[in-house]
Amino acid sequence: MRLTKDVELLDGMPVIFIRSIDAIVIADPHLGYEGVMAKKGVLIPKANLKHICGMIGKALKLTGAKTVIVDGDIKNEFSKVDEEEFNELHDFVDFVKQKGAELVLIKGNHDNFVERYREPFKLKIYRQEAEIGGYVFFHGEEMPVGAAKKAKMMVMGHEHPAISIFNKAGKKEKLRCFLYGEYKGVKLLVLPAINYFASGTDINMVPQGELLAPVLKKADLEGMRAVAIGYGSTIDFGTIAELRRAVA
Amino acid sequence: MIEQLQQPFQDEQSLSVLNEHVRKWFIENFKELTPPQKYAFKLISERKNILITAPTGSGKTMSGFLSIISRLFDLSIKGKLEERIYCIYISPLRALNNDIYKNLTVPLEQVYSQIVKEMGTDVIKGNMRKVTIAVRTGDTSQKERREQLLKPPNILVTTPESLAILLNSEKFALNFKGLEYAIIDELHELANNKRGVHLALSLERLVEISGSNFTRIGLGATLYPLEEAAMYLAGCESGKPRDCLIVDASWSKKLDVKVMSPVKDLIYAKEGSVEEATYNKINEIIKASKSTLIFTNTRSGTERVVYNLKKRFGYGEDIAAHHGSLSRESRLEVEDLLKKGSLKCAVSSTSLELGIDIGAIENVIQLGSPKSVTRAIQRFGRAGHSFKAVAKGETIILNRDDLVECTVMIDAALKHHLDSFLVPQNALDVLAQHIVGMSLSGRWGVDEAFAVIRRAYPYHELEKSDFVYLLNYLAGTYVGLESRRVYAKIWYDEKENAFGKRGRFTKVIYMLNQGTIPDEVAVNVFAAGNKWIGSIEEEFLTRLKAGDVFTLGGRLYRFEYSRGMKAFVSEAKDSAPTIPPWFSEQLPLSYELAIEIGKFRSRFSEVVGNCIKKTGAGALLRKRAMPDNVKGFLDQLPVDENAKHAMYGYFLEQLLFAKAVPSDKMILVEYTRDTDSDKRYLIFHSLFGRRVNDALSRAFGILLGEMLDIDIGIMVGDNGFVLSTEENIDVDTGTVDDLFSDITTANLQKMLKKNIRKTEMMRRRFRHVAARSFMILKNYKGYKITVGRQQVNSQLILSAAEKIDPNFPIIKEVYREIFNDVMDLPKAEGILRDIKAKNISYMFVETPSASPFAHSLITFGHADVVLMKERYRYLQSLHKLVMERIKKPD
Repeated sequence: MRLTKDVELLDGMPVIFIRSIDAIVIADPHLGYEGVMAKKGVLIPKANLKHICGMIGKALKLTGAKTVIVDGDIKNEFSKVDEEEFNELHDFVDFVKQKGAELVLIKGNHDNFVERYREPFKLKIYRQEAEIGGYVFFHGEEMPVGAAKKAKMMVMGHEHPAISIFNKAGKKEKLRCFLYGEYKGVKLLVLPAINYFASGTDINMVPQGELLAPVLKKADLEGMRAVAIGYGSTIDFGTIAELRRAVA
Repeated sequence: MIEQLQQPFQDEQSLSVLNEHVRKWFIENFKELTPPQKYAFKLISERKNILITAPTGSGKTMSGFLSIISRLFDLSIKGKLEERIYCIYISPLRALNNDIYKNLTVPLEQVYSQIVKEMGTDVIKGNMRKVTIAVRTGDTSQKERREQLLKPPNILVTTPESLAILLNSEKFALNFKGLEYAIIDELHELANNKRGVHLALSLERLVEISGSNFTRIGLGATLYPLEEAAMYLAGCESGKPRDCLIVDASWSKKLDVKVMSPVKDLIYAKEGSVEEATYNKINEIIKASKSTLIFTNTRSGTERVVYNLKKRFGYGEDIAAHHGSLSRESRLEVEDLLKKGSLKCAVSSTSLELGIDIGAIENVIQLGSPKSVTRAIQRFGRAGHSFKAVAKGETIILNRDDLVECTVMIDAALKHHLDSFLVPQNALDVLAQHIVGMSLSGRWGVDEAFAVIRRAYPYHELEKSDFVYLLNYLAGTYVGLESRRVYAKIWYDEKENAFGKRGRFTKVIYMLNQGTIPDEVAVNVFAAGNKWIGSIEEEFLTRLKAGDVFTLGGRLYRFEYSRGMKAFVSEAKDSAPTIPPWFSEQLPLSYELAIEIGKFRSRFSEVVGNCIKKTGAGALLRKRAMPDNVKGFLDQLPVDENAKHAMYGYFLEQLLFAKAVPSDKMILVEYTRDTDSDKRYLIFHSLFGRRVNDALSRAFGILLGEMLDIDIGIMVGDNGFVLSTEENIDVDTGTVDDLFSDITTANLQKMLKKNIRKTEMMRRRFRHVAARSFMILKNYKGYKITVGRQQVNSQLILSAAEKIDPNFPIIKEVYREIFNDVMDLPKAEGILRDIKAKNISYMFVETPSASPFAHSLITFGHADVVLMKERYRYLQSLHKLVMERIKKPD
């Protein structure tokens, strides 16, 4: 689905393609999730890395993009580097390289130690936010700064947005979604998590004050559009205000 | 061979097998032998496996223990009693364990001091030891545990969970060497669930550890079929059930039970008057007897009854509630007061059903249907403590379906017809646990372990391939080598055909996570401003959607949204609840009872139908009195006058309105509309019990949805199910014919698998099974893992597992549990075969408003102790429509 002349939401995927900078963008892969959960006693079979690589492979093939931008939280653990994570991160970086694309990381709240990977993996890492070709990428746990005011569009992750709708029989269906709107006159796009296990926050059911990202607490959330993905397609479900009415 | 005994032994014969001191003690303390004792003393002394079913208060415990005590004193007197465990007693209830301990300590002391008196100093010379007994449960202190390890008691009283832990503590397990007896009490509470499956495996492992084929003694309330229970108890040896004798003394206590309707007309009684009459009736009974025990079907019902009795009649501390949500202390206090006789009345949901000693109860009141004959007998059996007493009780019904159900149930109970139970077969999650447990004790050959497992009745038909798949799962072969260190619990060597323990933490993981009872979560409920209001069950939350109104702590709330294990609500005064609060609590109606109800409906509707033919509808409706044939028919049933009138009215209205009464051989399919909304209902009066209906309703729902290409809502009840939609649809005979022809040719299991794949039930059951199979650990490295965390996206964990293999053992077990334990898929398939073979017919009617038999189905299907006002008014309005129509001259 075409969002602007330059930005495309790839069908059925939590991935966008920005033509002018020849890049695809994803958010919140949380690599190493299963390993970290396993250490807490939840022995989830591994599925995340394979799922994400599959998506990226498909997206690169579809768009021919030369860059993969990860908009924060590439790994899961907050405070330490975990062996499982290290392995998965390695495999992920390797995968992107194999596909002939450059990897750009925006640091997220889970990425405190990602710096250590800079040297061995030769990564391009941005600390807070990155301005690339007029687009501003930031993870979202803090307010955007600097270049954001003049940006063509701000792109963030962090919130793991989703919407819940009920069918006529009262059955709940939760779909991951993009949120698209404006903040202080600048376009704002929130990416759904690409992580296999994170189904997300019900944006149309949770009060605005309960959201995680400060910018979303301040933005005109009701006016933002939810573009949901699921069942292999990407569909505009209208504004959050409309969706809230639909579930009330 | 499994054999049921009919002829008790002579008392002299029974007593002659006892040690002389024990015999003397028995004769001094008891006037005579109770029915189970007349069999048990001799048979247990001969080391026969024996299953004894008998009501509470029939000397069941003594029948199991006395011969064993006698043997232990024999040894003691000879100076041959060793410091080891001779007998292990296992019951599902800690409270019961404490009772048993108290009740056995007294005779052990008395017999011993009697011997001391007679033998004097010879006792010391002869190295005569006391027979010792100790309790081991989760409550046992560290100090006691140490003592038990060093000085093992001769009789160990424990629970299935504590036994599983003891089996795996190397040092303690040595104390089981040469074990001679195992007593399993309250067998009926174990044989039909995973706790019991777990225990069956523990017993076989105990055989290995003790090196002896000990005598097994099962004690329980009545259950059917007894042969199944005996096989569960005794297990199998080389593919055949071990020998076991059955003593069925269940019917030694006479029942005197009646069904009562609080009023004559359950529909047109003034608002609140049914409730008032119910409480007045209860009060009368309480006043007239020394002590009364009231059973409701839900915990919330229990609370409401206590509250109302106190408010209406000024009772104080002499009435108390007893249910599982109360603290252990307050429950013990209630039990104690009952024993002392200082409580006038106790109200319970299920907790007092079991054999906890509560002394003599004069009267039992059952409010609403207990949903199974076996349960009814057990509950009423609590009245009149001695085995010679008559168990007196009343069932007070709440609505007209309840009336029919209770009447059939009590009639069946009086005629000794029971509903049947099933031992879950091949539960893979419980087995996974035991495989880990077995590996802790060392290296096992695969075939050797497989043979041990197949001796347990719940696994006597286990497929080798399933077993090997589990070994692979536990060895972590589904993850890469590098992660196996975390995932693997055992090593499994295919070439060597052997497995064993793996990892330093495995033993700790096992000890902290074993057991089969799932962690259920209370979901905390908050109102605006993060004010905590109370908690609801997780399953209840899964039923809620935004805007639903429900009651909590006596007030109405509207559900807004949930986050993790928190639900957020707002106050909702003046609205009607849309979800009944007891939804997840209510027990399901059993299949056998449902069939009996169907037969009753067919018999009684014939009687009423004949009267309509003879007298004419108009005349019958004008005349208030019952026709003679009807009266004659109802007089044979254990019901009061009010109940007879209500029953007659119910059937008459149904026949006049819908021209048909559904039965066990005829499914009435009724198409109707809601009177004041756009809802359309397709009501299936299918009387096969809720578990069968659960399966059937989904299948019909899927087919109708596909046929008309719309979303279908499903409501499941005990007496049928309802498919509903707000779409403007046309349903006629043709539609229903198509539905039936499609469903009888469909693969039911395949269809349901697809349907439940995304449901909350699947998610929740998956979490339980994953926890039992050690995929989600509740306790790990000192952390207690909250259910919230266990719950994290179990839907996605599930699909991750499915990606590995759709037959992943954990997933396979989830489906098995849902299809066989939650639903009853085999019986549902049987019903469909019967429909196909035309042994069961169906009939389609279109009605202007719902027929009387459908009323409780479309008003949520369930009834509770106190009728909700809205539901009540709605019922009245429905009934009015029925009466208007049938009074219209044709």
